[in-house]
Amino acid sequence: MTAGDGMTERRAELAQALDGCARGDRACLRRLYQHLAPQMIGVAFRLLRRKDLAEEVVHDTFVRIWEKAGTFDPARGEPTTWIFAILRHRALNVLRGEQRIDLVEDFEPMHLAVDGADAEAMVIALSEAGALRRCLERLEPLRRQAIVLAYARGLTHGELAGRLGIPLGTAKSWIRRSLLSLRQCLA
Amino acid sequence: MTDPEKETLAAEYALGLLEPDELARCHALAEAEPAFAGRVERWRRHFCEIDMTAPPQPPGADLWARIESTAFRATAEQAPAGTRRAARFKPLARLWGSLAAWRALGLVAAAASLALALGLAVLVRDVGRTPTLVAVMMSDQNRPLAVVNAFRDGRIELVPLEALAAPEGKSLQVWTLWDRSRGPVSVGLLEAMRSIEMQVNGLPATIPDQLFEVTLEPAGGSPTGRPTGPILMKGNAARTDVGS
Repeated sequence: MTAGDGMTERRAELAQALDGCARGDRACLRRLYQHLAPQMIGVAFRLLRRKDLAEEVVHDTFVRIWEKAGTFDPARGEPTTWIFAILRHRALNVLRGEQRIDLVEDFEPMHLAVDGADAEAMVIALSEAGALRRCLERLEPLRRQAIVLAYARGLTHGELAGRLGIPLGTAKSWIRRSLLSLRQCLA
Repeated sequence: MTDPEKETLAAEYALGLLEPDELARCHALAEAEPAFAGRVERWRRHFCEIDMTAPPQPPGADLWARIESTAFRATAEQAPAGTRRAARFKPLARLWGSLAAWRALGLVAAAASLALALGLAVLVRDVGRTPTLVAVMMSDQNRPLAVVNAFRDGRIELVPLEALAAPEGKSLQVWTLWDRSRGPVSVGLLEAMRSIEMQVNGLPATIPDQLFEVTLEPAGGSPTGRPTGPILMKGNAARTDVGS
């Protein structure tokens, strides 16, 4: 069996579990949990840097999946993308919302060099065969790091501007241009 | 909107970089144009690879039990198990899904307000969404830089009117003062101005003339618990119509 077959199989299994959730089959939610919970906690933890908050977000995400599974349309999206988009949406709300102050107190001070190494490590962890890694590697390091940090650490335009030492407006247009180069490469 | 503008909006949405106002624009666009929802999905699919590089972490022993108790209790209240989303409701569910994948994701608030509208809480909610007191924070040159909204339920939110980010090594700290003998109390700390709910747990409800201000402090906030840096903006709370 090739890796491609494995992916298709996994996709079908997840889509089937989502369909089961939409029909009220509780075992299907449990199956999704068994497949995805550790990875979901990992993603939420990377954004929030606190295990308790990460678990809280994963809890909310599974409740949401149970309620909304009927709106998932396999013709229009991947099950994993759909689930992780819910997870990220909730984690970013926590990161940017009411929990922000607690989080700031727990933050170790971070510097550009540390962030940069952090982002590069994530790029290296991407599949070498994948288009995303190839295309990110074509960007200048700072641009590549800004995009990866925005996604994986939830940094805002303002925070990226602060880290890069450039005005907010400059940071925004700079990131937009980088995204367009990325798009061209990914197409 | 030009094609590159749409493309970057979709990408920034998938990245999580949009401010609340842009987010609303993005939702409207995805509703109007399935092609736009498709762009968002493509970006999400690519970026999702980054999620897969996060080191997995084992769930705590009670996480599943907590999920089960919340998710399935809510279901039991809605309908008996097994009849949820019966066959005749399926087309509706599909329609929702096919309007655009984003509807399922971003519109938590829409679903919540629909649920409330179905109850009789709609009036309460509208009033609840209108601030009872508002403070416009101005620069020392009397330029409005941000608004503080205080709601009946005690929540306070900050809404920036202009972009402002703290330089490297500094933070923006939000303070409120309602009692000179108590002194200013910190209600928020951020690196750049953005819409954020303030931390008001344990503080008395906002009163007219209560002072709000933002100062520039060392990263992580004032070391003394009192403002130490320059005041970037300040304003006093005033009642709105619904506040009386």
